[in-house]
Amino acid sequence: MKRSIVLLMIGAAMLSLGAIAVSAQHVDKLEYPQLNKLEIPEVDKVTLENGMRLYILEDNALPIFRASVRINVGSHLEPADKIGLASMTGTVLRTGGTTKWTGDEIDEMLEGIGGSVETSIGRLSGGASVNVLSEYTDLGLEVLAEILRNPTFDEDKVELAKVTERSAISRRNDDPMDIAMREFRKVIYGPESVYARHTEYKTVNAVTRDDMVAFHEQWFHPENIQIAVWGAFDKDEIVQKIKQYFADWPKGNVEVPAAPEVDYEFDRHVYYAEKTDVNQSNVMVGHIGGMVTDPDYADRIVMNSIFGGGFGSRLFNQVRSKEGLAYATFGSYTANITHPGLCIGFASTKSETTGKAVNEIVKQMERMQTDPPTEDEMRMGKDGYLNSFVFNFDTRSEVVNRLMNYDFHNLPEDFLVQEKEKVEKVTAEDVVAAAKANLHPDQLRVLLVGNKADFDVQPEEMGMGPVTEIDITIPSGEEKQELAITPENLAKGQEMLARAAEAHGGVANFTAIKSMSVNGTMTVSTPQGEFPIPVESVEVLPDKSYTVATMMGQKMYDIRDGSKGWKTIAPGTIGEKTEEDILQAKESQRRDLVMIFSHLNDDPYYQAVYEGSGQLEGQEVEWVALVDQQEETITRIAIDPATNQVVGQSYWGSGMMGGEGTIVAAYSEFTEAGGVTLPSKTVRTMDGQKMSVMEVSEVTINGDVSADLFTKPTM
Amino acid sequence: MKRKALGLFLGICALALTVAPSGHAFDFTQVEEKVVEHTLDNGLTLLIMPRHDAPVASFVTWANVGSADDPKGYTGLAHMFEHMAFKGTRTLGTKDIEAELKAIAKEDSIFMELRAERNKGLLADSARLVELEEAYNEAREASYQLVVPNEFGNVVEREGGVGLNAFTAYDQTAYFFSLPSNKVELWMALESERFLNPVLREMYKERDVVAEERRMRTESNPIGRAIEEFLALAYKAHPYGVPGIGHMSDIQYYSRKEAKAFFDKYYGPSNLTIAVVGDVKPKDVIKLAEEYWGRIPYRPAPERIATVEPEQLGERRMVLEDPAQPVYLVGWHVPQIIHPDRVAVDMLMEHLGQGRTSILYETMVKEKKMAMQVGGFSGFPGNKYPGMAMVYALPAQGHDNYECEEEIFTAIERVKEELVSQEDLEKMRARAKASFINSIASNTGIAMQLCEAQQYYGDWREMFRQLDKINAVTAEDIQRVANEYLTEKNRVVVMMNTTQS
Repeated sequence: MKRSIVLLMIGAAMLSLGAIAVSAQHVDKLEYPQLNKLEIPEVDKVTLENGMRLYILEDNALPIFRASVRINVGSHLEPADKIGLASMTGTVLRTGGTTKWTGDEIDEMLEGIGGSVETSIGRLSGGASVNVLSEYTDLGLEVLAEILRNPTFDEDKVELAKVTERSAISRRNDDPMDIAMREFRKVIYGPESVYARHTEYKTVNAVTRDDMVAFHEQWFHPENIQIAVWGAFDKDEIVQKIKQYFADWPKGNVEVPAAPEVDYEFDRHVYYAEKTDVNQSNVMVGHIGGMVTDPDYADRIVMNSIFGGGFGSRLFNQVRSKEGLAYATFGSYTANITHPGLCIGFASTKSETTGKAVNEIVKQMERMQTDPPTEDEMRMGKDGYLNSFVFNFDTRSEVVNRLMNYDFHNLPEDFLVQEKEKVEKVTAEDVVAAAKANLHPDQLRVLLVGNKADFDVQPEEMGMGPVTEIDITIPSGEEKQELAITPENLAKGQEMLARAAEAHGGVANFTAIKSMSVNGTMTVSTPQGEFPIPVESVEVLPDKSYTVATMMGQKMYDIRDGSKGWKTIAPGTIGEKTEEDILQAKESQRRDLVMIFSHLNDDPYYQAVYEGSGQLEGQEVEWVALVDQQEETITRIAIDPATNQVVGQSYWGSGMMGGEGTIVAAYSEFTEAGGVTLPSKTVRTMDGQKMSVMEVSEVTINGDVSADLFTKPTM
Repeated sequence: MKRKALGLFLGICALALTVAPSGHAFDFTQVEEKVVEHTLDNGLTLLIMPRHDAPVASFVTWANVGSADDPKGYTGLAHMFEHMAFKGTRTLGTKDIEAELKAIAKEDSIFMELRAERNKGLLADSARLVELEEAYNEAREASYQLVVPNEFGNVVEREGGVGLNAFTAYDQTAYFFSLPSNKVELWMALESERFLNPVLREMYKERDVVAEERRMRTESNPIGRAIEEFLALAYKAHPYGVPGIGHMSDIQYYSRKEAKAFFDKYYGPSNLTIAVVGDVKPKDVIKLAEEYWGRIPYRPAPERIATVEPEQLGERRMVLEDPAQPVYLVGWHVPQIIHPDRVAVDMLMEHLGQGRTSILYETMVKEKKMAMQVGGFSGFPGNKYPGMAMVYALPAQGHDNYECEEEIFTAIERVKEELVSQEDLEKMRARAKASFINSIASNTGIAMQLCEAQQYYGDWREMFRQLDKINAVTAEDIQRVANEYLTEKNRVVVMMNTTQS
């Protein structure tokens, strides 16, 4: 400590010896040498006969070859009940293999040379990229051509993409900033808008391989594709090579519809999404934004920089530095080429200052209209843009990609330079005028993601308009069928179920069942193959059950006694069942044939609704839905009209390997025990994929049951 | 799988032979020879590499100090200082330095009183606390009146600076931005000034900003929460176990006095490396550096951390319950980056968990679809001292941490028993080469790599030696380090399970 004080004194002494003191004034007086001329590299444009457009930029500095592809396709083209089709097609295009190579072979080839080829489809455009050392240029191009032209969408990789997308859905509420970004788009563009909508389990589950094949066939044609290449090559040679892979791709003739327009009506409204496990709120305030082609676009470039751009912007100075309200804050009136952008002011602030942060952002937005930029602010906004202009050209990738994008949108090649010339002329008055014309601080939508129990100001009291709570609970993927519950359907359903009960041994025999022991083998299908698992179970009605499965020599228990229970949570470890577990057990018990038949006459435990005839595993069946008092479907029962026996069920549930879906249980090999006839074999599938086969070898009805079974097992 | 890969690999070789390679053997020595090293009398190391592709240049100031150097009781101080380095100097960021220094002194003295009172905990005098809080707020506002906010950043941006930012890691703190290349002198002037005589203005306001950063990164972010627990579990002695952003109570405790002492101790010129990469002439750069950076008086290099993490005596494991979806983290203690084993350890982790053909991705994502993401890497949270080799997994929907763990451990046993195949070894070499070539396409990237090598190895040339080291590693080396380090006893596990509602 002492030493550093001495050093400090030496430092101070040195400073007073008349060394240079760098101040803003000193900086202003610095004289700089002439900037070396910026050589904006020439990009060659070539259009192939099939309409594919190429942008070529030679650069031999490093031995690399890069390509970037723009495809005129996007998720705006997918149907609303299959959201995720476009993005998953973008994924499986690359992972799902081609007629020449499987996806895994492509992985091996590319990683073997330290290269990459990637594809994706976004809201308004699709893209592909190639990055290889130049000695592998041919391989990179061939893989690219194969992927774009001959993708095979391997079923297993379609499934992988769906698993990944479902996993992403399940995680989408974990990070509060993600929630805010996603919900704000919906607040502004509308939840159904192609600029805001997002996947749900239901829309992902609905997507099939055939959809992907069709989506690719419909939109992937050479006239919809632009390819930019840059790196170490000879211009003419590279055009020849690209032709070799793409010239014989015949032109399609499909008009890609433009993305829809945006309808927006200004209003004041507060939206609140509750997230209780955070101590910081994500606050977004704004309304609709503008277009790149608006006449005051250049004025807004300067306006944005002063409002909420970098260091020294008003939001940064006030919300962050002066008030200490946030680490992350920004604000911008954004613009797009084809549809309006967003006007947005953002801060993440502790729950206790949520209202204060909203206020401060609104205040700064208002000030943009009333307090003209100071000289320093104009320098930051305007000089900053102009002085850093050279960074728009410092990499080949920016130059060639920008040109490709402008060309697609029919913007002039020198659009950026034109904008720069406009920025040079922007005055403080122009900035105020742009703020008055575009910002609407009195017509704002406010989104709050956080824990309002700790807010300084409740959403209703913010004075920002009416409050709507957004429920961010993730909807399950269950397909709710519209069930027509009429007296006729009810009567017919009840009658069919009664006949089925008769066919299985009669209601009296079912109500006489007090306990039931079953031994058998459950064969589980996994990606690694099929695993037979011996299972023993004992059930004492109505609410006690004991199941032990033996997996690889380890006993896995699952025990329930009313609302308590225990289960193996890790090999050798028993844990208590959660409320969720008990609930699940109760639900699955309601689908049990013994329960169904024994409660047949206990109205209103179940109501049976006749749905109509249909098929189960190729067999003609009559479908009867069992609904509870809330008219929620418990399960759908398939009855063989010839025998009146129940031959299967269909219901929404969880799979063995996770995930939820429509499970179909098909019954066969009926045997009789204790006066009732039940299936010995049950084959279960989930969304058409084989899940398990249960084969019962022994059934005992009303045998001796030890009461000790329904307690926590001792290990 | 692997046999098929071999066939493919031969196919690629054949393909490569049939195509006339346009830039086959890239000569790295050409790049290396362009680097100019210069040391100022005060001990500051200057690294310059001219690249004339575009009239721009990138600048990095690399301080050999990081969160691991935080004093006890003042966790997060290195990071706090990084924030303060943007607050200006005696001549930048003030309306009236003399008046401001007085206001700052008053702010300090009231805060120290307040802090002493707060520190009494339950015995604190509540009326006195209220009184002091008020005085403290007044003092903060009074000194803020004399501030020109963010003038440093403003000047940089209006002059055309881009990418102005900094980071604080456990091992180092780096400050960087890029400018049109004729403005080298601007960078020299501004950057040297802030490390010559920084004024830590707005310190008490900025602490609130850092507190929000902590809420954002750690407290309101499930992966942030899991990582903080992981490091605390992995290290009982070494400061790698302490959160770099700091504990909330420490953030609200430190004063300007500690921040200034930290600066004096760790920001002497002999503890700094600066790098300039872009359209510049080394001779001019050196001249300007002498003029501006030469103003900073010599200070001896600080003492390094002597604490050595003791050998772990058994597996450490923590099971967290959290409303978020499951996260699985496992790590093993491994040596620091300059240890001869580390290259093999890095390759082992790459083989396990980087890319679509890595062992864990192939089994857990592609085949079994039990993980949405899985990865492996080493040197966490730092490389200067022995860090961790890590594997992480985000289980796919409906799958859990236990399944993922079992699969990861199976893969670990596999790399202990089986040798990495020759084609996998070649693959890693090819990837290293390609990624190195890609990394030298950016001015900032080169500048950072030069500084990093200079810090860790004491010689920037090591940046160009890594490929040789990777090429020298054998399958046996990888198997040996797998058996040596990836043991149960040496392992740390944190799993974050979803709370059952």
